[in-house]
Amino acid sequence: MRALDLKLMRDLWRMRGQALAIAVVLAAASATFILSMGVHRSLYETREAYYSENNFGDVFANMTRAPRSVLDQVSAIEGVQQAQGSIVQYAILDFPNRIEAVRALLQSVDERGRDRINLVSLKTGRMPAPGQPEEVVADEAFALANNVVLGHEFDAIIYGRMQRLKVVGIGLAPNYVNALAPGDIIPDDTRFGVFWMGEEALEAATDRTEAINTLSVKLQRDASQADVIRAIDRILEPYGGTGAFDRDDHPSHVFLDSELDQLEAMVKIFPPVFLLVATFLVYVVLGRMIRTQRSLIGLFKAFGYSDAAIAGHYLKFAIAIAILATILGAIAGVWMARELTELYARYYHFPILRFSFEPSVFFGASALAVASAAVGAVSGVWSAARLTPAVAMSPPPPPVYRAGMVERIGQNAGFSAIGHMIVRHIARWPARSSMTIGGVALSIGLLFSTLQFIDSSEFMLESYFFRSQQQDISVTFTEARNEDVLFELRQMPGVLRVEPVRGLSVEMNHGNRLERTALEAIPPSAKLTARIDQDGNVISMPPGGLMLSRQLADQLKVDPGDSVYVKMLGGRRTEAMLPVGATVDEFIGARAYATNETIEKLARDGAPVGAALLLIDPAERDNILTVLKTMPAVLSIGDRDLEMSRFEEMIDDNINTMLTFYIAFASAIAVGVVYNSARILFSERAHELATLRVLGYHRLEVAVVLIGEIALLVVISVPVGLMIGFWLAQLMLRMFGSDLFRLPFAPANATYGEAAIVVLIAALLTAVIVARRVMRLDMVRVLKARD
Amino acid sequence: MQLERNAFSGHDLRKIYVTGETEVHALRGVDFDIKKGESLVLLGPSGSGKSTLLNIVGGLDRPTSGTLHYDEIELTALDDRDLTRFRRANIGFIFQFYNLIPSLTAEENVRLVTDIASNPMDPGEALALVGLADRKHHYPAQLSGGEQQRVAVARAIAKQPSVLLCDEPTGALDSRTGVRVLETLEQANRELGTTLLIITHNAGIAAMADRVFHFLDGRIARIETNTHRISPSEISW
Ligand SMILES: Nc1ncnc2c1ncn2[C@@H]1O[C@H](COP(=O)(O)OP(=O)(O)O)[C@@H](O)[C@H]1O
Ligand SMILES: [Mg+2]
Repeated sequence: MRALDLKLMRDLWRMRGQALAIAVVLAAASATFILSMGVHRSLYETREAYYSENNFGDVFANMTRAPRSVLDQVSAIEGVQQAQGSIVQYAILDFPNRIEAVRALLQSVDERGRDRINLVSLKTGRMPAPGQPEEVVADEAFALANNVVLGHEFDAIIYGRMQRLKVVGIGLAPNYVNALAPGDIIPDDTRFGVFWMGEEALEAATDRTEAINTLSVKLQRDASQADVIRAIDRILEPYGGTGAFDRDDHPSHVFLDSELDQLEAMVKIFPPVFLLVATFLVYVVLGRMIRTQRSLIGLFKAFGYSDAAIAGHYLKFAIAIAILATILGAIAGVWMARELTELYARYYHFPILRFSFEPSVFFGASALAVASAAVGAVSGVWSAARLTPAVAMSPPPPPVYRAGMVERIGQNAGFSAIGHMIVRHIARWPARSSMTIGGVALSIGLLFSTLQFIDSSEFMLESYFFRSQQQDISVTFTEARNEDVLFELRQMPGVLRVEPVRGLSVEMNHGNRLERTALEAIPPSAKLTARIDQDGNVISMPPGGLMLSRQLADQLKVDPGDSVYVKMLGGRRTEAMLPVGATVDEFIGARAYATNETIEKLARDGAPVGAALLLIDPAERDNILTVLKTMPAVLSIGDRDLEMSRFEEMIDDNINTMLTFYIAFASAIAVGVVYNSARILFSERAHELATLRVLGYHRLEVAVVLIGEIALLVVISVPVGLMIGFWLAQLMLRMFGSDLFRLPFAPANATYGEAAIVVLIAALLTAVIVARRVMRLDMVRVLKARD
Repeated sequence: MQLERNAFSGHDLRKIYVTGETEVHALRGVDFDIKKGESLVLLGPSGSGKSTLLNIVGGLDRPTSGTLHYDEIELTALDDRDLTRFRRANIGFIFQFYNLIPSLTAEENVRLVTDIASNPMDPGEALALVGLADRKHHYPAQLSGGEQQRVAVARAIAKQPSVLLCDEPTGALDSRTGVRVLETLEQANRELGTTLLIITHNAGIAAMADRVFHFLDGRIARIETNTHRISPSEISW
């Protein structure tokens, strides 16, 4: 055995280039596996630990106002373990030297520490004390973003009244892992934060003595969530309840879920592609190696080595590569996982979010790498084991070329003799040629489907910010208003146009699908918003029916022509069956639209104005923002430009980090595949190439035989790769989309080119490196060594 | 047939192969003149340096020291590019193991050379000369050893080279086939004035040459001049 192991080391060293090229592809599989699986675990487990440590609720409900005593009723529901009521109230913070408005969500906490659900984790300081109405705990992310420290005092307008607040603690809670200002689509810690305030203080500040407007419930282990929700809805109906919901509809939880889903999607896509390619490479390289070592195998067997020993020897070769790959992959994977976790930590508020390296993930990655290398090795190992010494020591039968299909095609195409050599060699090894084409094509496909995420998000941004939403500023009101507020806004200098946003909270029902969503009224005069189809044309509102965003239509499984059952949440709680007249391709959020008349029919009067869209004179922007900031009716102000740049920043953060990795990985496939193909090609043809040199062909002319074959295969792989990319991209977009947003498939034409060019360059450079061996070819030596 | 002008003249050619720690002196100072159109046989025991000399003469290899001229050209001073150009223009090689390209038909193997030659024969004509006109669309694997070697000969003569270098061309052939190959070579030498160098183990073959170089231990031990060249058909082994 010692001799065989020595030979193994020598073989590995001699073939280090090829072994490394395979290892890099396998390492990409391990790295992406460790990255997505590892971060998924870390994020999931951090979340679960946080939830259970801080007792995150199972069911939640909001209402206009209910006496605290409803909690007794809720607690009495079968399956409810605990119920906790509190007050949430939006407030405006006065940060004097800030032009944009800074908003807060005030969340009440029991001053005597009797809370049991959604507990606050303090980073520093303490919770508000009884009898100290000014004391608050500030959200950690907000504090960091705005340099808020313990002892910091500022004025806040709460419920229309100015009040002084003092930060006595900095902390965070599981129901605000992701906190969005109303009307926003991405978090912005500089302009919005959560503050925990004493219950008595907030009751007093909002005239809600012994009253609550939100509640959270913990369920018993075997409780029926749906039954509890129904029971809560019945209890809260008289108090303006807007429908209880579970974690799946909890805004903070949903964000995390969508992130976890994306990580899961990554696990399903990337590692399998790399593993597949690596398996091919092992198959091809080991197959060739065993063919060239035939006589050696015969010799070993003649010496008395068993078939199993020989099989084990070649299997070890594959496994050694897999082990190297796992090490490389683990290093790269852990490093990338740290980066990604850091990125998440910037958007999600966890007490601690760190990538924890789980041995099980590492072993999973190793097992996959070893298994795919072993699978690739099976056929070669089998043939080595089966070889009898007598057969092995006779030279292998030469490759037989006959006048087949390909040869005939070539004959009429008027190729040069060199051209024939290239084409026929490809045809002579169809499996290997296909694998080369397939490998390079996968690399192009992977690169394309990664690159197009940029196009997709740009298209999404463009569609959302430039075509659907044309206002400069959107204003969300503290509570539903009548038309007067619009008049007030129109009077402001520099305001060019004001359009109301009227909406209802509704529940839609189709078949067994149930979704909570917003139903927006679209007046015929609406100019600032538009609903646009895929080609950029405005879709007009269907009279008497609904228009659903594609996301909502998909969630409900409805098509235009179907009807949905619509139930108002809150208000009069009227219900109606409404036809779906159209769907619209919106990418962010899920919502429905209807004409004013349709809404009036449902709500029995006009929908209240919840927000307004403003078109302004840019020169007056700062003045307008300053005035809006002081208007008590204004809850939050959305600045389109600011929001767009925040969005772009987030996408850049996200995509650029990941993209760099994936460009590297996709190129690694191309390099691995081309390098191995070229090396095998070279070793197979060294004799022929030397012959050509003898006949008087120059070095470059001879290199053409090698480069030409690789180039031809790579060129064929371009259309194949783009087709794979076209398909893979759509699969990935589907898997990466969530309830919160949908990613459009809208690749720029240039992206096809970029994907192809990056891979072509990687492939060509690799082929040239191998072709340099042609330059150094020693004719005499090669001709003497009869193979 | 003796002409006055020299095709090759070599002076004190030495070749040392260094492999690891050992040095092999393949040529230990060889001097010779080869006339244009001359027919020459290199005879000697295995390992005596025949192939080494042939390869140097054909521009496949370089001597460690010494000078070699072809016509007015100093081959030992050429770089790889010019040496390749020299081979392309002047030299036809034939080896013991045919060295045909397995993926090309007989005709295409010949075209490999006619594609890059300046004044080639038609590939079909070259194959007809070796008696393989009807086999031109066959692949090497479909031809017998003798036929393959004749394709190699056709490939070598198709560019009408001024020199034919043959390293044991009949080594792998039976006597009858070998004679056919030698006849073709002899015909090229006689009719086209091609300078012919043949390496062989077979002393019988020496009788068809104008001169015979006897090799021993990296040196030309003796040069023998045949007053009478016999035709290949009279040789047998
Ligand atoms: N490429 C090479 N590397 C090392 N030694 C070589 C090489 N080619 C030939 N030799 C050695 O040079 C000597 C002469 O070889 P060669 O010219 O092939 O002899 P011949 O053709 O007369 O049999 C032999 O000892 C041979 O082993
Ligand atoms: Mg020899």
